[in-house]
Amino acid sequence: MAKNDQFDDEFLKKLEYLYIISKKIVAGKNQAERKTRIVGSGIEFADHRSYSPGDDFRGLDWKVYARTEKLFLRLFEEEEDLYIYFLLDCSRSMLLGEPTKWDYAKKVAAALGYIGLSNLDRVSIIPFSSKLDGRLPPSRGKAQIYKIFDFLRNLEAGEHTSLEDAFSTFVAQNKRRGIAVVLSDFYDPRGFEEGLNKLRYHKFEPIVVHVYDERELNPTVQGELQLVDVETGDVREITLTPEVVKEYRQAFYEFSEELEEYCTKKQVLYFRTPIQEPFDELILRIFRAGGFIK
Amino acid sequence: MQFTGLPISTILTIAGVVAAGVTVLYILKLRKRRIQVPFSHLWGRVLEKKRRQSDFWRKFRRFLSWLLHILMAALIAFALADPHLEEEEVRGRHILLLVDNSASMAATDVSGGADRMDVARQKALEILETVGAEDRIMLVAFNDQIQPLSPFVAEASIIEQPLRQIKTTATGTSYKDALGFAADSLRDTSNGHLVLISDGSGLSEETFEEFDFGEGTKLTHLKIGESSGNVAVTAFNVRRYVANKLDYELFVQVKNYFDRAVEAELQIHADGRLVDTKPLSLQPGETMQRFYPSQAVSGEKLEARVRLTSRDARDVFPLDDRAFAMLPSIRKVRVLAVSDGNLFLEGPLLLNPNLEVERIKPDQYTPDRSKGFDVTIFDSVAPALPQEGNFVFFDPPAEGSPWEQRGDIDDPIITAVKDSHPLMRWITLKDLNIGAATSWRTGRWDSTVAASFGKPLIVTRKRDNLNLIGVAFDIRNSDMPLRVAFPVFMINVVDYFTLDDDSYIPNYTTGDTWAVDVAKGADKATVTTPTGEQTEVPVYNGRAVFNGDQTGFYTVATADETKTIAANLSNLRESRIAPGDLELGKAKVDQDADSLIFERNELWIWAILALVLLLLIEWATYNRRVTV
Repeated sequence: MAKNDQFDDEFLKKLEYLYIISKKIVAGKNQAERKTRIVGSGIEFADHRSYSPGDDFRGLDWKVYARTEKLFLRLFEEEEDLYIYFLLDCSRSMLLGEPTKWDYAKKVAAALGYIGLSNLDRVSIIPFSSKLDGRLPPSRGKAQIYKIFDFLRNLEAGEHTSLEDAFSTFVAQNKRRGIAVVLSDFYDPRGFEEGLNKLRYHKFEPIVVHVYDERELNPTVQGELQLVDVETGDVREITLTPEVVKEYRQAFYEFSEELEEYCTKKQVLYFRTPIQEPFDELILRIFRAGGFIK
Repeated sequence: MQFTGLPISTILTIAGVVAAGVTVLYILKLRKRRIQVPFSHLWGRVLEKKRRQSDFWRKFRRFLSWLLHILMAALIAFALADPHLEEEEVRGRHILLLVDNSASMAATDVSGGADRMDVARQKALEILETVGAEDRIMLVAFNDQIQPLSPFVAEASIIEQPLRQIKTTATGTSYKDALGFAADSLRDTSNGHLVLISDGSGLSEETFEEFDFGEGTKLTHLKIGESSGNVAVTAFNVRRYVANKLDYELFVQVKNYFDRAVEAELQIHADGRLVDTKPLSLQPGETMQRFYPSQAVSGEKLEARVRLTSRDARDVFPLDDRAFAMLPSIRKVRVLAVSDGNLFLEGPLLLNPNLEVERIKPDQYTPDRSKGFDVTIFDSVAPALPQEGNFVFFDPPAEGSPWEQRGDIDDPIITAVKDSHPLMRWITLKDLNIGAATSWRTGRWDSTVAASFGKPLIVTRKRDNLNLIGVAFDIRNSDMPLRVAFPVFMINVVDYFTLDDDSYIPNYTTGDTWAVDVAKGADKATVTTPTGEQTEVPVYNGRAVFNGDQTGFYTVATADETKTIAANLSNLRESRIAPGDLELGKAKVDQDADSLIFERNELWIWAILALVLLLLIEWATYNRRVTV
């Protein structure tokens, strides 16, 4: 293992610690220890829906019928293995600076992946930019963590970001629904809505981890500049002044709030984190928010 | 407004080029630095918002920045032009500082300095501080001589050092020479300014012709001094008596320059010892002369000191309170008498205690015998002479006589006598009876002292190093030895050769060029001044020539002898220290330095300060992105 390897033993110890913490927060019971939101034939009530011809009438809720004179079926959560997909943004914007958002996102993916493996979930990692840039098939069991590490180590930078294109491919290739943890800076000129909608529409349960770099918000250079988009190559001329920087920061916050507002509206878990925040704190924050571990 | 910097055309050219350059730089598109950003779309949002601001303001800010730089270029041009207010004097002046350092400048009647010279120096230094960059300044010190200490220089600090080193000299003042020199120096200069820094003592006694200082030259006299209170020893001499050279007499002259009566005390010192003191009562302006006869006090260095005893008077000029005189040491003159025996001739010689006489027969004489004798006297003999020496011939025979004999003169009568000749001092040869004399033919080296109808009877000759006196008759064939005049004549004969003038021992006056007799053969001498400074001086014709400007005793040393001489101020005019005003006919002479001291408003400095301020504003606004 390389000396400066971010996935070293120390990192693994930290993951184990995080796993223990996660167990304190939520304790699992079943084989699969977690429940999907897929409604099926389980024993735990989930919801009602209108009766349609052909439905199993054993599931009719007569008490509701008595009250409303309408036929509703009782839905139960189906217990099965949980699939967790880590959609990892590897576009060039993630690779700017030192350390990079890309490194941070990989750490977070590795950490959450380890928790998933520890909970006997099936963990898959899918890097993307404008397309899917490789794939780690769903794996199960703690021992698979090294496979994840190797996969993450060998990942290479992709192209420009296109959430919609990449996620369209993703939903087409992965029929098994599950949690889709999107780790990205969401710097997509075409917007983030279409991409996330793709996941939602195909019954995936998205969790958005919005990664950004504080240094991007506080550029040190000023004056007459040409800003070159690292992904698209677009050039914009600007006179960078403290006032402009302030406005840029404001624009970023507006952008982040738009994303957050979208997620809130669509009941998507949203976490915004600067890479300057220790990744384990982010992990704990995700645990406390629930959703990833139940 | 007047401009004294670069020519306007040059400045306009420079300013135009700079302005054009600035404009071109503004027109040229700035090559911007490229930096990578992760998501230019967000920056696009910002730019969109900025674009909504008024384009006019953006353009105006750019114009404002250009205007700021043009203004800076204009300020530089303004500074290069070196602007001055219309009423300001900006032309470079030619200032000539004429500083008096004569004896009277040593008077202590001043406040703010040790003496007048000290105050003069301070005033000159104050003037140096007013000198501007365009001014040229020249420093000249003067007393009875002129000493230029610098040419016209632009850097006033150059002449600070020589100015501080000016010292008073115990000499008189020659205003005429100094003003003449100043006029010559300033005549062809522009904007001349003569500044005379002097007490002006003695100016009231002089009238000057109109000096041509050149057109527009300003004249300023800064008068130093406040008082005229002075009592001075204005003359001090000593002489030996002719008959008794062991005794001497003194002459002292004291003058009261106060305008009221004062009491004083006159002291005589010999070799530093007080030998006599006398009280004096001096009326206003009185000159008192006093003799001290028959002084027999031992000592060669004599000094007269006058000291005020009036308690309500103060003598502010101590330099002339002392006077010095030198009494030469007594040395017996060696005389060789070559004679078969002449009692008349030998009598006065043997009786004179100042002479050491040796007598030999004519056949014993050889030219070498004269060596070591001051005078050799031949009585009726004329042997061969050595190359140099002092010889007296009484009635020499035709053979060997230095003078060609042309027959005899019977019963000569002295008809012509050169009374002024040193041989004839204090004697008269009137009615001298002479039995017979020899008629001599004299040449161009001869000088006839006494003659009978044009025929020389007493002759002197100086040729090369040979000095002769000839008497054309036998004194035994005359009544001359019986006269009172004869022993005096013999003393005169000896004194003539030995140059021992008993009537007057010369004192030297400071400021003059002195010629001091020194040992023969010397070509240089070392002079030690009263303050102990030593100088090597040249010797011309047996005299050391140098200039003395201190009172007191000097020693003049050659390889063979050391001689001491006394020097005094002895200047009645210089001792009159009352300050006087310079008047030069119709020419206006300022009495203060107000016209000299002026402040120039260097506007270019303000222009540069404004430029710096604008630069700071530009820097600040650029960094705050106000003007970009």
